[in-house]
Amino acid sequence: MKILNQTVKMEALALSAPHVQVKFYTKQPQYAIPDTPFSVPSSVTTKELSSLINSLVAGESGDGNIADFDFLISGEFLRLPLDQHLAQKEISSEDVVELEYIVHHPAPRPEHSMDHDDWVSSVQGSDKYILSGCYDNTLHIWKTDGGPIMTIPGHTQPVKCVAWVDSQSEEPVSTFLSGSHDQTILLWEWNREKNEIDCRHCCRGHAGSVDCVAVDSSRQRFCSGSWDKMLKLWSAVVNMEEEIEEEVEVSQKKKRKGDKTKKVQTRVPLLTLSGHSEGVSAVTWTDGNEVCTASWDHTIRLWDLEQATQKSLLQGSKVFLDLAYSSLNRLLITASADRHLRLWDPRVKDGAIVKCTYTSHTAWVSSVAWSPANENQFISGSYDNLMKLWDRRSPKAPLYNMGGHEDRILTVDWSIPSLLLSGAADNQLKVYGYLDAQQQLMENI
Amino acid sequence: MATKRKSDIGNGNHVADEVDLFVERAVQGEDKSEDDTTDSEESVYSGLEEEEDTSDSGEDQDSAESDDFKDDDDNLNENEMKDELSKKELDVQNNNRSNSDLSQTTQATVPEYEYDSSDEEDIRNTVGNIPMEWYKNYTHIGYDIDGKKLVKPEKADELDEFLNKMDDPNYWRTVTNKLTGQSVILSKEDVELIQRLQEKKHPSAQNEMYAPWVEVFVNETMIHPLSNRPEHKRSFMPSKWEKLKVGQMVYALKMGWMKPTKTQEDKEADEEKEEENKFYMLWKEDEESEISKRIRQNIPAPKIPLPGHEESYNPPPEYLFTEEEKKKWEEQDEEERRLNFIPQKFNSLREVPAYPRFINERFNRCLDLYLCPRQSKMKMNVNPEDLIPKLPKPKDLQPFPTQQALVYRGHKGMVRCLSADKSGQWLASGSDDGTVKIWEVVTGRCMKTFKIDDVIKGLEWNPNPSLSLVALTVEHSVILINPGVGDKLLVSSTDDMISSFDTSETQTGKISPVEWSVYDGKKYDEGFRIKITHEKEVTQVTWHVKGDYFATVVPKGDSRSVIIHQLSKRRSQNPFSKSKGLVQCVRFHPVRPFLFVASQRYVRVYNLLKQELSKKLMTNCQWVSSIAVHPRGDNLIIGSYDCRLSWFDMDLSTKPYQTLRHHKKALRQVCYHPHYPLFASASDDCTVIVCHGMVYNDLLQNPQIVPVKILRGHTPENGVGILDCVFHPTQPWIFSAGADSTIRLYT
Repeated sequence: MKILNQTVKMEALALSAPHVQVKFYTKQPQYAIPDTPFSVPSSVTTKELSSLINSLVAGESGDGNIADFDFLISGEFLRLPLDQHLAQKEISSEDVVELEYIVHHPAPRPEHSMDHDDWVSSVQGSDKYILSGCYDNTLHIWKTDGGPIMTIPGHTQPVKCVAWVDSQSEEPVSTFLSGSHDQTILLWEWNREKNEIDCRHCCRGHAGSVDCVAVDSSRQRFCSGSWDKMLKLWSAVVNMEEEIEEEVEVSQKKKRKGDKTKKVQTRVPLLTLSGHSEGVSAVTWTDGNEVCTASWDHTIRLWDLEQATQKSLLQGSKVFLDLAYSSLNRLLITASADRHLRLWDPRVKDGAIVKCTYTSHTAWVSSVAWSPANENQFISGSYDNLMKLWDRRSPKAPLYNMGGHEDRILTVDWSIPSLLLSGAADNQLKVYGYLDAQQQLMENI
Repeated sequence: MATKRKSDIGNGNHVADEVDLFVERAVQGEDKSEDDTTDSEESVYSGLEEEEDTSDSGEDQDSAESDDFKDDDDNLNENEMKDELSKKELDVQNNNRSNSDLSQTTQATVPEYEYDSSDEEDIRNTVGNIPMEWYKNYTHIGYDIDGKKLVKPEKADELDEFLNKMDDPNYWRTVTNKLTGQSVILSKEDVELIQRLQEKKHPSAQNEMYAPWVEVFVNETMIHPLSNRPEHKRSFMPSKWEKLKVGQMVYALKMGWMKPTKTQEDKEADEEKEEENKFYMLWKEDEESEISKRIRQNIPAPKIPLPGHEESYNPPPEYLFTEEEKKKWEEQDEEERRLNFIPQKFNSLREVPAYPRFINERFNRCLDLYLCPRQSKMKMNVNPEDLIPKLPKPKDLQPFPTQQALVYRGHKGMVRCLSADKSGQWLASGSDDGTVKIWEVVTGRCMKTFKIDDVIKGLEWNPNPSLSLVALTVEHSVILINPGVGDKLLVSSTDDMISSFDTSETQTGKISPVEWSVYDGKKYDEGFRIKITHEKEVTQVTWHVKGDYFATVVPKGDSRSVIIHQLSKRRSQNPFSKSKGLVQCVRFHPVRPFLFVASQRYVRVYNLLKQELSKKLMTNCQWVSSIAVHPRGDNLIIGSYDCRLSWFDMDLSTKPYQTLRHHKKALRQVCYHPHYPLFASASDDCTVIVCHGMVYNDLLQNPQIVPVKILRGHTPENGVGILDCVFHPTQPWIFSAGADSTIRLYT
């Protein structure tokens, strides 16, 4: 009876307007409503639909406005009025339209801004700490609440990439990596309790700037890609027993710093893979033994590290600037030297199949990161100074735009599920707090 | 039976009749001869013939008669039933006959005019022509002329009739006159007449129907004239009218108005001749002649416009000139006047004077008509779209830079020169603020800044991938710096190469046009390596592809305007002994030992091995600003200050293969992409125009040049827009250096 009333009320909104039969369903059982078709005006918007769902849910549970809802029609977000969306997607408005509704994602909140002395080239978060690389040749460690822990000099040229190796262990020692224009990757050891930092290994072998590093899920190995077109595999284990002669230059610098007592050992790559014809811009692990790289030669290559061969190649049309892989949905998202983000399925073997193109940025997209918790969400940073939060199902419009930077965003990171990190050429590292709808729900409950 | 007898009698009759006729005829003949004395012979002749004829005809008659028997028999057989009727008819005829007979008989006795003979009716009975049956029951049969009853004669009874029939030999020719009731015995002539009528012959036997034709006028000339009348005068006088007519004809013939009428043969002959002589003009144009066309497509003379209200003798007052208008009209030039007269008002048409300009206007009109050729203009129906050469769509020619991607900010003066390193990671730029900056391409980060404190005019990265050197020109010198970016090994090996040079080797006999010097100390640490000092200002430096030789341009150096340096041996030489104009720009050929030297108007191509001029290209422009050589070396583009970009094909002529004039202001720089089929030109109008310039391996196929994109973004500064442009070495991207102290990357 109440449903009927509701329907009548809805109809009262636009008596003469054409109506569409819709059916609501959800995968979130706490918001489930009876499986009855409704007749709604075809020009209905998300907001009206959301209030309808609210009243339906409230009618059963008894309280007021519960949450905002978003609606999906066959896997795509409803952003326009319903009739326009149907017309655009060429869906018949005469059939019953099935609308999936999910709780609206809350907006990310800007939380902290960390000042650097120079451009922030790379950033990665881990548990409670944030590691950032800077163009003034230093590394920075920050607390997630924005407090600086330390600034680490060590590279002789701007740092291009950073990565945590092991930070969640019970031991008070964390390890991390940093790659730089000086063609080295340094493996650092940080004692959190003593707040001591040591450069344990200097990984040499690249003949160009190290643009990207990626650590294996087992935390034993890492890969690096460089401008010299090579992909190199290294051991990530801090091993003091290695007897390799110290590089003179590094030791000199350490001596100059004065407080470093432990020796820096040079490490050579376990494996070098060549194949790209231009510099490697991004690397990521997709599997225990599989690495995916994106390059300036417009290709994405998948490498089998056990056999040390290239497994497959995905041909693009633009220079790739970044690449992200989600283990949740096993899809790749790439950022190119154009305005688009592209979704790839690496398992597809035959040629380059772009599953979807996400267009909203107005300049080059410099970096991209998948959500570690939600299989549908990812963020992207662009030279148009905006970071965008996307849902995989909404190719035309992002969920949120995060402004705040005054210059090009060079890097974004979403390693900590509740924090969105972005580093930009305005010397800022910005932290946005983000609670997924489900997390929010959990908190509410 | 009766008929047979009748015919017998007829025959006898005939003979007797003949004799009578002959007598009569003789009398007639005598009369004739009396009448026509001249034609006596004829008459005689005919008479003779007649005689013979009659004798013949007698026999003929017989045969005809025998023929007639049959006819008569047939008639009788057919008409047996109507015997009575035919008899009556015969009676009537006989009656008539008897009348005439009576008249004939009376002729002899009674004088001719005793009774009125005009009426042929028997006047003894005056009842007229009525059926006599009406008097059947009366005793009289009518009335005579005096009104007395004519009593019916006594009719013999049947017995008497029979007796008569048996006895009277004339019974067969006795008929009853109906009018009088008297029986009349037909004479021999009457019977004959009846017979002739029955035979459908002429009633009188004298009238011979088939008499032989006697020609009066015969073709045979007769010695005697038909008439003796003397000839008329005009028969021997020449005709005056004829003479007049002939005279007219002669004159017409003389004038060619009249032509002798052609006979059929002549006509045929003429036709044949025409067919023989018929030639077809194979090469004749289909168009008709000018004159006939003009006649056919007559364009009438334009009509004189009809007079308006102004021309009226009594125009509405608004058409009359006010004083102002009149003054204005008088001041105006004759050509400018809207009206060539002043409208005037008259009270009546009678007062209107003669129009003084009439002759003048007629004359002008005539001039207009004959001096303006009236021709219909032949319009060419050409679709202007068709004249445009078919070019591929720019979309199909991708990739090429389409939009601005990055802006490199940091310079404080106009950026004059750009150069990208071989790998594409770094970009070097020289500016008027006296600095050289090295940029990281992908982020737009300025990695290094070299302070020179003077305007950097030219700069080029060493193309040798194993050397990390940038050559730049400052004032009178060329400085080689090691930017110290990229591979550390390269940087150090370059330094090693420079420091390992043995200075003693430079001491050669020749006087070097330049002075080589090596930096040390603080400057060396900053990255400066070698300085080559020239006598005059250096504007450009360009490397050979191999990276060992480089050439510098000293425009004011006269004979030493182009100097080629060798890095490995630190030698310099002046390849040209004479200056050939103000040298603007030089380039090395990428593959062969050629040097392109651009003076203001020409580009000379020198073969450095043979030391000779191999080609001289005519640029057709006023002032060459820049040249660029295709990476394969067969094509060349030249940008000039007069807004032109010329494409030369070295295998073709010395004139431009194609000239593009897309820029609105002077071109400052042109460049080729090392891999993609692209070239670009940068201009003072703040645009970079990217063109697709496909060069095919097939020598027969000409290069395909399509402008694809105009890139904007820079702002002009003091009239200077973009000073330099250079393609990214590996990507289809282009950098442009603007006077607004920015560098922009278009992708």
